Amino acid sequence: MMLSRIADSLFWMARYMERAEDTARILDVNYHMMIEESPHAIRMRWDPLVAITGEQERFAALCAQATPRNVFEFLAFSPENPSSIVQCITSVRENARTIRDRISRELWEDINSLYHEVTRFNPEEEMAVGPHRFCNAIRFGSHSFHGVADDTLPHDEGWNFLQAGRALERAEMTARIVDVEYHKLVEAPASSDTAGTHQWMAVLKSVAAYEFYRRQYHVRIEPEKVAELLVLHAQHPRSIRFNIAAIQQSLRAISGSGPEAYADEAERLTGKLHDSLMYDRIEDIFARGLHAFLSDVQKSCRSIGEHIARAYFYYAVVA
Amino acid sequence: MPGPQAQSAEDHLFREYDTGSFFDEMFEAPGQPRPYYARVFQELGGMALSQFEELRELADFSFLLQGITFTVYSDGRGTERLFPFDLVPRIVPHSEWDRIERGLAQRVRALNLFLQDVYGPQRILKDRIVPRSLVYSCRHFCRQMIGVDVPRGIYTHIAGIDLVRDSRTGEYLVLEDNVRTPSGISYVLENRQVMTRTLPRAFQLHEVLPIDHYPAELCQILRMISPRGGEHPVMVLLTPGIHNSAYFEHTFLAQQMGIELVEGRDLVVDCDIVYMKTIHGLTRVDVIYRRIDDDFLDPLAFRPDSILGIPGLMGAYRAGNVALANAVGNGVADDKAIYAYAPAFIRYYLGEDPVLSNVETYLGSNPEHLCYILEHLPELVAKAVGESGGYGMLIGPAASHAAIDEFRERLCANPRNYIAQPVIALSRCPSLDSRTGRMAGRHIDLRPYCLFDGEKVIIVPGGLTRVALKPGSLVVNSSQGGGSKDTWVLRGET
Repeated sequence: MMLSRIADSLFWMARYMERAEDTARILDVNYHMMIEESPHAIRMRWDPLVAITGEQERFAALCAQATPRNVFEFLAFSPENPSSIVQCITSVRENARTIRDRISRELWEDINSLYHEVTRFNPEEEMAVGPHRFCNAIRFGSHSFHGVADDTLPHDEGWNFLQAGRALERAEMTARIVDVEYHKLVEAPASSDTAGTHQWMAVLKSVAAYEFYRRQYHVRIEPEKVAELLVLHAQHPRSIRFNIAAIQQSLRAISGSGPEAYADEAERLTGKLHDSLMYDRIEDIFARGLHAFLSDVQKSCRSIGEHIARAYFYYAVVA
Repeated sequence: MPGPQAQSAEDHLFREYDTGSFFDEMFEAPGQPRPYYARVFQELGGMALSQFEELRELADFSFLLQGITFTVYSDGRGTERLFPFDLVPRIVPHSEWDRIERGLAQRVRALNLFLQDVYGPQRILKDRIVPRSLVYSCRHFCRQMIGVDVPRGIYTHIAGIDLVRDSRTGEYLVLEDNVRTPSGISYVLENRQVMTRTLPRAFQLHEVLPIDHYPAELCQILRMISPRGGEHPVMVLLTPGIHNSAYFEHTFLAQQMGIELVEGRDLVVDCDIVYMKTIHGLTRVDVIYRRIDDDFLDPLAFRPDSILGIPGLMGAYRAGNVALANAVGNGVADDKAIYAYAPAFIRYYLGEDPVLSNVETYLGSNPEHLCYILEHLPELVAKAVGESGGYGMLIGPAASHAAIDEFRERLCANPRNYIAQPVIALSRCPSLDSRTGRMAGRHIDLRPYCLFDGEKVIIVPGGLTRVALKPGSLVVNSSQGGGSKDTWVLRGET
């Protein structure tokens, strides 16, 4: 028996944790690539970082132009940005607090100490030394969160909502990363091959897939291959396909439906998307247009989220 | 083990400790610990100041890690503060506890009988033991409860009775009854846990009675009152939510009892049945341990602006389809004016003499008392009858002329709403003075938690010892700068 509100909080707790981790990864990797580049390239690259997190409008309202410093502050610390890392970790803890009787003591203490660690960072100091130290702490915090959750929570419905939340957030984030990076490449082709390679290496590193790419393809970094890995790979835990499969598995575990049926709209959409990720080849996707495809993926992710909420979290008023 | 004597005078925690003119829980005479404190004195007194400071930091860190904090919004950022915890335990030898326990059991039984009576046949009013007007003018008297048959006749499932020790006599007195939704038990249980980790050696020196069976005992009572009976009733703890200052306690108790923690929005009433909203549909609820005040429980029955409550809950309760703990309308029994009659309840309902006395109380509603109060206000403690948490209170000897005059005006405008009592010189217990880093005497009280299953009263040994950490202060409430201590009831006398 699980209260809808608790399922809702578990789902969002995982989403916020994933959002914090993904933002930290993007920020960390891009910042360090940036310091090897020329001033021109810097201006070229900081706007897209904001775009990846989907917070362009809010950023534009706050800052006239994207500088390394204000992008760092906006993504990491800004209280004005609800998706900033500090705000995400605060939301993780707020959600955990409303369900702390339902999560293990270990998980609560883990989240609580991460919160205290994160809020103790002094933005001025961190902006002076660069984002690595801060982003690393977030990455470790997220790994610890999932480790403790897996090891101390019963793998029941609640745990499945946690898994679904993480996978949905990650699938959407990966779709946005690939989309934005590709768009950038089309709009302003890299000044040289080296610069392009550099840029795609950064993408791979930001999703922990750089070494894996090297082993998988044994070739230099090619945008199409990177896209193939991040969109269609069945085993890499940050590919879109992997995460859609994870959502499907979690939703089926919650509803109890088998592979031949779906219990609700969220399951139907997930299954449909998973089929296309499983049977489409990267050439097919490029033929139809990568941007259109990724836009559809993002739209589907949002729909899946809404339908999960409708099926499990919201109640119409009882007449 | 080096005793206090082995320490050089400079770094002795109890150096220059002054027992003052108060009953000191630890020392029977300056430098002379009571027999049941001798070993703790030896242990703490032999400690270097820095070592004690380290232990204190360890204890604080443990509370912070568990998120046992409250939030202060005054600085605009929402800073989290710890409830101050003092490491010197309050020790109660067994014979003393025995008497307290008998007194509390008797009192809780009488309060429950009073509630049964006042919402039932009202014998005590007809026999003119308590003035009818006093009961009916009580803000927390709940007319909707008249004639309602509560499960097993239990109103006061959980009672927190505040005791103080009067320095003049050394006797424990009852200062206040709390039979609505008393809070604080989680601090009792957490304080003990932190204490066993921080000062494990001190526990080996004594046989301290365990307290961790409280959640199981409470859960057993909740199970018993389920209207549907059965082995596995659906029980929930109803909280106002994350912003309530006792939220930590709500989560703690729900988790310890293994019951669902719900907010008003998780529940819905249909045809006088309460349901909770789960991911697989509505599930019927049998028992609600509610930590929401009466006023906010049901916007249809009480305050229509309540968003914390559940519309229709009172209907379900009166129809007998759901049990509530504590019962609705209990506030009439812990009203500070009704309090003055508690010894009379004990005599009237039980035919016994009260084991624990009340503090002498003057009622604003009594014209003679009122005259006395108005004449002696600067020497008295005056309180609003329906308030708690140290609010609405005037401590005459510590108040300015202006404050006294202002209070007098309020008192005259609504005498029924006030009572006054002589200032009790509360006993003191050594506590760390964070400014000097040494021990100083600080006033304390004691709130034991009493569970009532309709037949017997179950009290976990000890309770919450609250300590007024400000020098000289008599107000122990956490909202007024109070802290707490672990309370040890010993199996024997030392």
